[in-house]
Amino acid sequence: MAISEGIKFQSLISVEEGADIYVTSDYFGSNAPISLEYLDHFRKMDGVTKVVPRIVGRTYFANRLATIVGILPENIPQSIRLAEGRMFREKGDVVVGKGLAKEFILQIGLRFSLSANSSKLFRVVGFFDADASIWSANLILMSFEDALEFFRMEGKATDILIYTRPGYATILAAKIQEEAGASTPDRSEPPLRVQDKSLVKRYFQRGFNYKAGVFTALYTVAFALAIPALLIVSGFGQTERRKEIGILKATGWQTQEVMEMVAFENFILSLTSAPLAILLAIVWLKWFNGAFIAQFFIAEIGLMAPFSVPSRFMPIPCLFSFIFAVILTMVGSLYSTWKTATIPPVEAMR
Amino acid sequence: METIVRTEKVDKIYNPGRPEEVRALNQVDLEILKNRFVLIRGPSGSGKTTLLNLISTIDRPTNGRIFLYGEDISRYSDVQLSRIRQKTIGLIFQNFNLLPRLPAWENVAFPLLPLGVGESERRKRSTEILNQLKLEKRVGHPPEQMSGGEQQRVAIARALINDPEIVIADEPTSNIDAESIKVLLEILMDLKNKGKTIIVSSHDPIFLDYGEIIFYLKEGWLKNVERRENK
Repeated sequence: MAISEGIKFQSLISVEEGADIYVTSDYFGSNAPISLEYLDHFRKMDGVTKVVPRIVGRTYFANRLATIVGILPENIPQSIRLAEGRMFREKGDVVVGKGLAKEFILQIGLRFSLSANSSKLFRVVGFFDADASIWSANLILMSFEDALEFFRMEGKATDILIYTRPGYATILAAKIQEEAGASTPDRSEPPLRVQDKSLVKRYFQRGFNYKAGVFTALYTVAFALAIPALLIVSGFGQTERRKEIGILKATGWQTQEVMEMVAFENFILSLTSAPLAILLAIVWLKWFNGAFIAQFFIAEIGLMAPFSVPSRFMPIPCLFSFIFAVILTMVGSLYSTWKTATIPPVEAMR
Repeated sequence: METIVRTEKVDKIYNPGRPEEVRALNQVDLEILKNRFVLIRGPSGSGKTTLLNLISTIDRPTNGRIFLYGEDISRYSDVQLSRIRQKTIGLIFQNFNLLPRLPAWENVAFPLLPLGVGESERRKRSTEILNQLKLEKRVGHPPEQMSGGEQQRVAIARALINDPEIVIADEPTSNIDAESIKVLLEILMDLKNKGKTIIVSSHDPIFLDYGEIIFYLKEGWLKNVERRENK
């Protein structure tokens, strides 16, 4: 849950720091490359402060799927941190994510080509910081021209990022959509797909809520399965516990009194075990960087994440963990206790 | 003399109607008077322990009725039976049945917990009884650090903590040495002299000198009742 929250938080920060409007072409309802001819038109619109073309694509680096981002040098975000080397300057220069660098033992100055276009030669000039965002782990950052050449997409960008003056984003997005919202017989270009920051943010939220929902569903299934499992274990496996209950009953305890004692014991157990579980999660994430478990939340990172796994400990999931721990231990033990306490003590003591 | 326990045509059948059915007791009628030392004798498998379990209310008869102080308790609810065990009956089990995690004083004191007795009072009362049973050096020891005889005295102390009218002991000499048997007999006779009713099941002949009423069981049937002079 903490990892899921951490990724969500980092995503939303990225969206917040990103452009105000994202424009792509719309092919059959999906995003598609957009013509660079739109750049000038967008730059001239009232309220626009900056227009940035970008190429984002994916390709295989050996057997590892890598993300290729091509941007103009003047549009390199200030927040990008390099662990080693420098930013790209010359043709063919690339900055590589720590994940790829670590996996393939890449060195500064190494030249390589990618199978998608083996005629294009690249040279490693820098590495991203390991503490940079998780998206930089398998990233290959290069100039916009190099990316165009590599993907053979002359005159196109995967999307155009538009930065606006405060308050203009929604109006401009609507205007762009209105101007190029539909194909007409006299126009060869497909319609545009315009997404403003709030819409992108909603997509992210929805995506993460869906993921969190899937995780919660799995958690609930595990929880649901754990109860009968616990009942079986506690009902049939704990001979000592059965005997203890039999002794209590034989010496005058009533079923209700036994149940109260067990409930109290379990409450104390939950009170100590839930914070311990949370503490363990914190240690696991902060000290061991979520080893083995982060892969369930972040695709293709393997057992050990090559970057700092983002995580956030929110009070509500922590509270739920505690409540689940209480319910789980209570249901499992109280049912088996009740079953044992209501049979003749002599049977329980056998 | 007041009748404390009476059984009327009591049967106990385990797994009734199944191939593995066992008739442990058949049509047992007996009467136990107050302040008697009662001995239940018989070979292994004769139903001694089953009879004690029924009298001590930790098991229910299949048929027949059991009266305690004239009240038919055979159809009592679970809560009512618990109350009887709490106030009237002190049980000493053959294998002691102590809680291994607790020290001696807590083993003795835990029947007081549902009565709302505070910890200091529980400790005081249990320590007093343990001292009377010469276990002052074992108050804080868990059962595993005690001999069989000491564990049995802890079990006796637990049985006496609520000052019951009836003390029931199942095969009390089977797991202790000769010295401990001597101490046990002293304790039981002392309790009897204090007005308690003692019911012991055993095939140990040492009890023959002490039993005032001896019930002989065989294959679940009450075969004979022997009444002796008060000791």
